[in-house]
Amino acid sequence: MELRKTTVHRVAEAVLEGEITAHQLIDKTLKNCSVLNEGLNIFNAVAGVDATEQARAIDEKIKQGGELPLAGIPITVKDDLCYGVLPTSFGSSAFSEFISPVTAAVVESLMEAGAVVIGKTNLDDMGQGSTTLTSPGGATANPWQAERTAGSAGAAAVATGICMLAVESDSGGALRQGASHCGVAGLRPTTGRVSRHGLNAHCSSFARVGITAFSCENISGVLDIISGFDERDAATAVCRKGIPEIIKTPGSEDITIGYPVTAFDFLQPELREVFEQARDDFAGLGYKIKNIDLGLLREGLQAYYIIALAEASSNHARFDGIRFGKTGEADNLENMYFQSRAEILGKEARRRSIFGTFLLSKGNYGRYYRQALKIWELIRQEFAGVLKECDLLMLPTAKNLPRQLKGEVSFLDEWSDDFFCAPVSLSGMPALTIPAGQVNRIPVGMQLVGPPFSEKTLLAVGSTSGPRDTGTL
Amino acid sequence: MDSAAVGLEKAIEAIKIGVSDPERDQLHRELDQFLGWLEPALEVDTGDLEGLVFSHEAINVLREDTPRQSDLAELQEAAPNFTGGFYLVPKIME
Amino acid sequence: MKYEVVIGLEVHVELLTGCKLFCACPNRFVPEPNVNTCPVCLGFPGILPQMSREALQQALTAAVALNCKVALYSYFDRKNYFYPDMPKGYQISQYHIPLGSSGYLEIEDDRGVLKKVGIGRVHMEEDAGKLLHETAGASGGSSMVDYNRAGVPLIEIVSEPDLRSSLEARRYLEKLKSIMQYAGVSDCKMEEGSLRCDANVSLRNPGEEIFGIKTELKNMNSFRAVEKSLDHEIKRQAGILDSGEKVATQTLRWDEDRQETIVMRGKLEADDYRCFADPELAPIQLAETEVEKARHNLPEMAGERAKRFVEEYGLPEYDAGVLTASRCLADYFESCLEFFNKPKEVSNWVMGEFSAHLNNAGLEADQASFVPEDMAELLQMIDNQEISGKIAKEVLEKAFQGGKKPRRVVEEEGLLQISDQSELESIVDRIISENPDTVESYRGGKSKALGHLVGQVMKETRGKANPQLVNELLVKKIDSQ
Ligand SMILES: [Zn+2]
Repeated sequence: MELRKTTVHRVAEAVLEGEITAHQLIDKTLKNCSVLNEGLNIFNAVAGVDATEQARAIDEKIKQGGELPLAGIPITVKDDLCYGVLPTSFGSSAFSEFISPVTAAVVESLMEAGAVVIGKTNLDDMGQGSTTLTSPGGATANPWQAERTAGSAGAAAVATGICMLAVESDSGGALRQGASHCGVAGLRPTTGRVSRHGLNAHCSSFARVGITAFSCENISGVLDIISGFDERDAATAVCRKGIPEIIKTPGSEDITIGYPVTAFDFLQPELREVFEQARDDFAGLGYKIKNIDLGLLREGLQAYYIIALAEASSNHARFDGIRFGKTGEADNLENMYFQSRAEILGKEARRRSIFGTFLLSKGNYGRYYRQALKIWELIRQEFAGVLKECDLLMLPTAKNLPRQLKGEVSFLDEWSDDFFCAPVSLSGMPALTIPAGQVNRIPVGMQLVGPPFSEKTLLAVGSTSGPRDTGTL
Repeated sequence: MDSAAVGLEKAIEAIKIGVSDPERDQLHRELDQFLGWLEPALEVDTGDLEGLVFSHEAINVLREDTPRQSDLAELQEAAPNFTGGFYLVPKIME
Repeated sequence: MKYEVVIGLEVHVELLTGCKLFCACPNRFVPEPNVNTCPVCLGFPGILPQMSREALQQALTAAVALNCKVALYSYFDRKNYFYPDMPKGYQISQYHIPLGSSGYLEIEDDRGVLKKVGIGRVHMEEDAGKLLHETAGASGGSSMVDYNRAGVPLIEIVSEPDLRSSLEARRYLEKLKSIMQYAGVSDCKMEEGSLRCDANVSLRNPGEEIFGIKTELKNMNSFRAVEKSLDHEIKRQAGILDSGEKVATQTLRWDEDRQETIVMRGKLEADDYRCFADPELAPIQLAETEVEKARHNLPEMAGERAKRFVEEYGLPEYDAGVLTASRCLADYFESCLEFFNKPKEVSNWVMGEFSAHLNNAGLEADQASFVPEDMAELLQMIDNQEISGKIAKEVLEKAFQGGKKPRRVVEEEGLLQISDQSELESIVDRIISENPDTVESYRGGKSKALGHLVGQVMKETRGKANPQLVNELLVKKIDSQ
């Protein structure tokens, strides 16, 4: 069974019907894993025996008549999400053997439904970035073109067929750009839809837990399982009385897609062509296309970085070498702090925490931080306004093709890759990235952004557009 | 030192991250670049607009007052220096 | 004093919730370190805080009890700084919008005139852990951190700089403690750390508008220490000003052994906490009706209770005032009445002997092993004429210290009153025959002489004789001779 060519639903059914046991499926997956991972550097930890045990337990549950909609489905978990069985590194070499006392809520829900965790996937330094280039263990290569980055190791795992679902985090666009670079689908859900319990967020305001999969259909298959109120994440209280879904069905209802004309001017011509084609294809499928205006993308990106760095400086202050992680050899308290924190936080995380502290300091707070909160509000208003004129809007996912693994790139250029993703993070709206086409055999993705809780509409629209011509791996 | 440089030194001191001299020099240059990069955001006319404070609209998410004890061994194992029931840090002079 | 004293107090009070502020760890003192800890209060990565409903309710009660305006919308901020007792590298606290503001409480000033002391803010925050510094032992040259207290809910109450003397400061604290105790939100035991106080002090010339340069006083472990350290600091500042020098802005620590303030080293206050709203928590929104309800449901405060004691139990105003000054003592008094319903007698004993023993032991009424049932048992024995009042004092002392039931003390020590007439008669006869002169002067009309004879009998019986019976016997015998 080639995981890339089938659906979560069909695989789970095969396991439930006894065509294949979960044990056999996972065994095969783990064997594939070492072959497919060759040269890609996807995993920080592979489950091995533990995955086999999980699979056996699922087979047992099935025998006893358990209802497991994800029976035997192999999943990967990004390494900023806690999983109490395998080490959780958070993207720090000091945590390579750290076992978290908890398991992330999303992972719990998926496992309860029968999914099997086969490994923890690589990520940037303290989860901060959308390239994996700053990972302490080195970047993850793109399965389509090994000299470029995958953007996200989970997306690479899905693209290669190592797993069917990747549990990912997304603050400024890591999940979306990874999916885009690897030619798969990825969903960043609405604020408060999916519990973040167990996610070490570098930026709490914008961090979300989402799913990357080979198709929109596969994401649809797990959305309800991971959605809803969890008392361990206050933001999910908006779903306490049920999820306020906004569902529109393509084909039976008119759906208008907003096209922010000027946004595409920021792209290289060959990328722009991909989106113009995608827009025309949507029109061909019967969607109404409406030109709209989004004027604050660049400022949104900047506001995102002000807030994200400020929050990171505080969120990562807990890494002090006292209660977990490693501690620096030091004869006094100050040195202990400086050494431990320099050891736990890598270069990118150090830069972000230090700049974030600068931005929040007296004298800078009003100029930068408060201004960023105001731009945040402006962006929210702008997106809300645009989404009154259309049902969803399309945007590029990544500003550039995936970065070269060996090329020199300035930190600001890297941050600017989030140009189209970070403002969407500020808006609080859900965003689905799907393949839009390719440039020189490298996949290029587009975002579909809708009003809060319109994920099901986005996924429905997304599945009508594909599978697009993304070629074969 | 210009004000950004002074601010950077203060920030490093406040956030207690050890940086080598070359890294410090690099951070000085990068901070200047970063602040320049942020300029367009500062020019946005936000007037007396109220900034957004929360990304979510949840309010009054409250937990009931039922005490529960945690598994301590698991937590304490994670500590680099845990002895005799205490977390240890270098001696602090008071 | 040629200067005007300006004092403002910052008081931290631990709330009486079952759990910590943002996790389910028990909020109660335990001697073993790091027992009341969990991933939330240890700041483990990936674990989010969960706000306590009860802590909010108690903080709201405290705010309305202090006559505050209540913010209908408020939230928590992060106050960022490093210290080993702060697990997350920040303290969650209400910085931008305190739950309560513009409140006041009333005290008597130095001249006995009622005065309102403004309360600038009442806000919720989490407590830090505790640090121990030991040189010897397994830890060697280390400091040890105990996170049991980390995350315990606190409210910080910040007074306006309205206090004009150390005595006013002390009265303010006593009043604040009484209000918090009556509101049922804290036990306010300064010695145990459930009430902590920092003071800002400055001096200025009378009539001046602007404040002088202030210093901050910390580490005062009792109300007395607050008063004494303020006196000390006021004298110190006056001396500096007298000599034409300027007071330095400093944080000082009260040294109880040396009875003086010393400049703090070690943990210095950061000058920039980089506060911003904690994005992991939801804001708090209260309806006007909820605030009104909290005001309406405020428990009876000291003044009202005193009034009720006068009306309901017929106590003198003085008694009612003394008993209700501490909620603990008033509760104790009323518990005693459930078992022994003679209010004035109970009041005498609670205010007198019992309070004296509490003071000596440095205890609050609810900490004494001599519980209300014991007090009732003791008073019942007096009432039954099983022991005299004098013996009762002795019994109370022994029971209080030894933790024994009063009746058992009486039995073990053989202190039961002698009310057996035949046993007393022989002693009375002996005393009469041994004191002919005194008997004569009694006959001669000196009634005082009888008292002397009674005293002799009491002495002979080590106080156990029933004095009334002795009296009757003496009169009868002398008259019949
Ligand atoms: Zn806890």
